[in-house]
Amino acid sequence: MKRILLACGSGICTSTAARVKVEKLLNDNGFEGQYKIEQCKIAEVASKSANFDFVIATTMQPNGVKCPFLSGICFLTGIGVDKITKEILELMK
Amino acid sequence: MSYILSFFNFIQGLGPTVMMPIIICIFGIVLGTEKGKSLRAGLTVGVGFIGLNLVIAAMSSNLGPAVQQMVKRFGLSLSIIDVGWPAAAAAISFGSTVGLVIIPVCLLVNIVMLVTNTTQTIDVDIWDYWHFAFTGALVAIVTGSQTFGIMAAVLNMVIIMVIADYTAPGVEKTLGLPGVSLPHGFTGAYAPIAIVINKIIDLIPGVRNIDINMEKAQEKFGVFGEPIIVGTVLGAIIGIVAGYSFGDVLKLGITMGAILVLIPRMASLLMEGLLPISDAAAEFINKRFSNRGKMYIGLDSAIGVGHPLTLSVSLILVPLTLFIAVILPGNQVLPFADLAVIPWMFVLITPVVNGNGFRALLTGIVVLATGLLISTNLAPLMTSAAINAKYALPTNATQISSICDGANPLTWLIVRLNGIGWIGIIIVAVVAIGLALMNRTRILKEALELKQVNDKTVEMN
Repeated sequence: MKRILLACGSGICTSTAARVKVEKLLNDNGFEGQYKIEQCKIAEVASKSANFDFVIATTMQPNGVKCPFLSGICFLTGIGVDKITKEILELMK
Repeated sequence: MSYILSFFNFIQGLGPTVMMPIIICIFGIVLGTEKGKSLRAGLTVGVGFIGLNLVIAAMSSNLGPAVQQMVKRFGLSLSIIDVGWPAAAAAISFGSTVGLVIIPVCLLVNIVMLVTNTTQTIDVDIWDYWHFAFTGALVAIVTGSQTFGIMAAVLNMVIIMVIADYTAPGVEKTLGLPGVSLPHGFTGAYAPIAIVINKIIDLIPGVRNIDINMEKAQEKFGVFGEPIIVGTVLGAIIGIVAGYSFGDVLKLGITMGAILVLIPRMASLLMEGLLPISDAAAEFINKRFSNRGKMYIGLDSAIGVGHPLTLSVSLILVPLTLFIAVILPGNQVLPFADLAVIPWMFVLITPVVNGNGFRALLTGIVVLATGLLISTNLAPLMTSAAINAKYALPTNATQISSICDGANPLTWLIVRLNGIGWIGIIIVAVVAIGLALMNRTRILKEALELKQVNDKTVEMN
């Protein structure tokens, strides 16, 4: 079971958009049921990140993140999704 | 025909919890999303509305009496509750008549602006159209006319699109986000103010050399970014000031912590429901306008919130805002739910002040103090908008406001200018169209330069 933290400014808007897309991506690649996603605000990432396998954020990287950090802005623009897909699948192994 | 009209009136009379699911479902089908998916999207929006309604009712029924006690005991004037932007978005924007048509109207505005070269931004951030609907809904109340409301929303969007284009190079440089602009109704409004304050500071000898290093602040003030702690502590303090018994202080504290945690969860459902629509709409305009020279993709300014300076200054401003609210003469708003969205104010202030901590903090204090007065001024309008949208408000005549969009200087200007009649409406229209034309001149000039450079390289080869 991989624990994924999905962060954006509010923990509401863009992280929801990214979450729906990440879930689809993971399920399409056969990871259904093997992950747990939690959404949060970017201000909480530093304190929460120690308990997660990796974090995807739709904002820039703040200081003090204690696990691998991926930028999920491409899920909003639709540009460069292939690259992050590869990185996420790598981290799921 | 009259049957159809009375049917629509009947549906609208049932409130946004019934109307929005139907509208979203129809939009989804029109934009080519599958029927089942559209239905689910519509119902999810309905769930979000019901959820928000429950949480806001819990907030006002618990916080309302405590605040009134507090006012009675100490003569504090903080009687207006800051219910937060999710309530403003849901109850006022998407629950209003302007909100009903806002998505197609804004898509059309974006397309017209792209075709006329008055913007370079493809705004795929459909969700944040609600800021424009918010201005429109308040204007509709002030003027008593939905047409004026829609017009105001359109002009609001035009102004914000121009600001987005102008600030895009700064966003790229300071935030490291190339090809992206931020046409965000709340964030954008603060860019012109920051530009003015920054210019003034440049003119003052001595002061212009001050900078504060904010790096350590994020660690020290980090706790102010956690809603569960902020809500609980603030709730407990309000309980103590209201003279509650020990047990009731604890109860109010835990309830307020719960509410600050639950509001975003509910708003997230609303967002999830809108997602299929927003994806379909984004794809629709992306496909048609992606190869027109230098273009920006317009995103939610949330993507810039992670900037260390933005985050640090906002965290410091949480306790500072509470302090200002207490001492500022004329303020009646008790900041609460929207303390969490102060970072949005700074996303464009940060590039304007070039990462200078002192200037960001000073700008923040100025806009927040002004913002408190604006939200006090707009509270009666917001309260009646929420009542129009059939929102559950506390019975004891408490007013509501928000220090996010309820404190937005651009919204306030447009609403109050519309309030004075035709002259005001014409002023807003002239400013918006003037800005759009200025932007067009700049875009065409840039395109010409780009073309000349390209021609030269071709010649040299």
